[in-house]
Amino acid sequence: MRTHPVLMRLLAFAAIVAVVACVFQSLTPTFLTAENLRGLLRHMAINGLASLGLTFVIVVRHVDLSFPGVASLGAMTLGWLISTNAPLLEAVCGAMAVGAAFGLLNGIAVARLKLPDIVTTIATGGLAIGLAYFYSDGTTISQNFMMSGLLDLNDAKVFGIDEPFAILLATAVIAYLVLHTSRAGHAFYATGENPVSARFSGIGVRRTVVLAFIICGVTGCLAIMLLVASAGASDVTAGNQLLMPAFAAVYLGAALFGRPSVPATMAGTLLMSMMLSGFVLLATPYYYSDAIVSTVLIAAILAFDPDLLRAVRHGIPTGRERAV
Amino acid sequence: MEAERDIVLSASGIEKRFGDVIALDCVDFDLRAGEIHALLGVNGAGKSTLIKILSGVYAKDGGTVTIRGEPVELGTPRAAIEAGIAVVQQHPELVSDLTGAENIFLGQEAPRPGLFRRVDAAGIASRAARLLHRFPIRIDLDQRIGDMPPVEREIVAILHALRLEDARILILDEPTSTLTEREKSSLFAMMRTLQASGIAIIYITHRLEEVFEIADRFTVFRGGRNVATMTVADARATRASIPNLMLNEAAGEIFPPHGDEQEGEILLETRDLGREAAFEGISFAARRGEILGIFGLIGSGVDALSKVLFGAIRADTGEILLHGRSVRLRSPADALAHGIFLVPGDRRSEGLSMEEDVVFNMTLANLGRASWCGFMRAGANRRVARDLMRRVDLQPMRLARPLRGFSGGNQQKVVIAKGLYRRAQVYIFVEPTIGVDIGARAKIYLLMRDLAREAAVIVMSSDCDEVYGVADRTVALYKGSPVGHPERGIPRNQLLHAGIMGRLDQ
Repeated sequence: MRTHPVLMRLLAFAAIVAVVACVFQSLTPTFLTAENLRGLLRHMAINGLASLGLTFVIVVRHVDLSFPGVASLGAMTLGWLISTNAPLLEAVCGAMAVGAAFGLLNGIAVARLKLPDIVTTIATGGLAIGLAYFYSDGTTISQNFMMSGLLDLNDAKVFGIDEPFAILLATAVIAYLVLHTSRAGHAFYATGENPVSARFSGIGVRRTVVLAFIICGVTGCLAIMLLVASAGASDVTAGNQLLMPAFAAVYLGAALFGRPSVPATMAGTLLMSMMLSGFVLLATPYYYSDAIVSTVLIAAILAFDPDLLRAVRHGIPTGRERAV
Repeated sequence: MEAERDIVLSASGIEKRFGDVIALDCVDFDLRAGEIHALLGVNGAGKSTLIKILSGVYAKDGGTVTIRGEPVELGTPRAAIEAGIAVVQQHPELVSDLTGAENIFLGQEAPRPGLFRRVDAAGIASRAARLLHRFPIRIDLDQRIGDMPPVEREIVAILHALRLEDARILILDEPTSTLTEREKSSLFAMMRTLQASGIAIIYITHRLEEVFEIADRFTVFRGGRNVATMTVADARATRASIPNLMLNEAAGEIFPPHGDEQEGEILLETRDLGREAAFEGISFAARRGEILGIFGLIGSGVDALSKVLFGAIRADTGEILLHGRSVRLRSPADALAHGIFLVPGDRRSEGLSMEEDVVFNMTLANLGRASWCGFMRAGANRRVARDLMRRVDLQPMRLARPLRGFSGGNQQKVVIAKGLYRRAQVYIFVEPTIGVDIGARAKIYLLMRDLAREAAVIVMSSDCDEVYGVADRTVALYKGSPVGHPERGIPRNQLLHAGIMGRLDQ
């Protein structure tokens, strides 16, 4: 009898979560308190939203390095709109529209003009950061934040769950439905895996890639909305901290579950947030925790890339190869 | 005997098996010093396998190889190089951004001593000059490879293979398939230069006229055996029919019976279709209820033709008619919507998502039918896939297994199932049985015949037996031009002749 592969992976994931929790609990007794776990989930909401959008781009086998910059522009757009007395909903929609516009720009550049994704998205991210300075010459914006209701996003509860985490859950459910049960989801995976066969199967490959970039841009701005709500101000560098945890979460999840997917990304985000929150409790300087996140990212890439993996365990055939 | 002493390479009783398939069955072969020896045979006849054994890529299962009388073991490419055998692959891999000379000595730059281990450009230039002194060929080796025409790249690849002083045997695998007429003659000129300097050349080709132009002797392979070795002069004198030697009389057994002679309605028609540097003047009609076979070697334009008919690339001239109406196919999606389905020649890179499972792949070309309000009908799709799996006889019957876990033949069955699910009117098969074992081949031919009941089927292949065996009507494509009359069809030996000589046998 073969053990069920998905079950095995779930057990492995649970074991890793347990180990990480035990290690931090033994180092700092406050780790497993209700207060800290609430904070952890709130933090996870921010990184999780950015990671969910990035998952789509990774599934179509591209890379988006622009979303932190775009999110910063989204943060400033949001702050500026609120400071001009715009209603909260309009302000949020404005920020998301910025994300969608840059996603469209990235998608057209990469899918239609065939520009290299890494360099292109670095450039568009830089462009977005430049634009972010226009609103206030780079100073933080926080006028009207108290009255607008934005800060309530961070503190309110929905069915007993903190609102940021509720937003993450709702987004994850939608992302799951799209990526794993819809027609479009098949197009995303088919495009990523073999664009030629996808095209020969009648799938609009370019359109699919553009859509993935748009989703990534929008969720990045959703994430920044929660970050602005918790910080109480919009800052031109707000998005910078999104980059590394999002990539690490997607790749870590893909390494754990064999391929990038919505559940994998959520699992990866949970692990990343646990680690980041633990390091905060331990009062580790941020540069050390950055270094550790980066190390986790490299390890995850190593585990996710089948060629690398094969090179590492050279000579030992995997189950798949034996099947052939 | 005079000839005996001249033999540089002799192989006797060579055997090679792949599982149950016997690729080489007790093959004898010898090569004389300074001769150009052509290897002929249809796809799968065994010539490539012999070459791979001689170049150390495959280990032989039986037989002996001697070089200048000494027995040698050619188990690895290195052993073959040390035995003086140099090979130029069919598509040599060169670095576009380096010059010809740099490509020749790639990996052997012998850097200057010192901290930076700089490449010794002067050293490379002088070694290149020495090489050109041995083989007086007119070529500018300081040019970038990317700027060179195909024939000069081929020459660089040959010089790369001959860069070692003791290479005495050169193997060329279909070097002319991408060359124009004029380029071909400069390649032949180089081959004669090499020949004059005492190098023996084994030359694989599909084109018979080249054999008479350049070779001294030739060997014909069929079904893993050496069926004839003779000098070109003898072949001329006795008027031996090489196509007849190449054809396999027993090959007919795996093909299903042909369709009945009723004329179905014309579903797809082309009029004077042409594409720059690929093919021209293609006019044919594909009817419901029949299989149209197009025989063409690599470089004959069949691959481009299939992609034009599927909307993946555009035609420059002519028109495509579906149900008698002229259509413009802008994309594969467009072609699919018009009821055309392509089973591409390279299923791994063009036909399948190898990491995805059988259900995913079978439904991919018809997501509209597989979904409801944008959501996949998971249960229904699994049922449909199970039926399709039985219909194409997929082995093993595992719906959840990723495609990479199936054999080549079963992967091809999944592509066909994908086409069945699409319910197209016109099915185009390109090289349908490359890398497919004999059992799966028979099943695939049966499925084509099955499809042809409701639709028009077009088979394009470089395997003459396959085209002849499965198709009701056949036409040959030679260097982009059709040979033979598609309405009447041509007999089997004529078909092979047309595809490799470019004209019908008079």
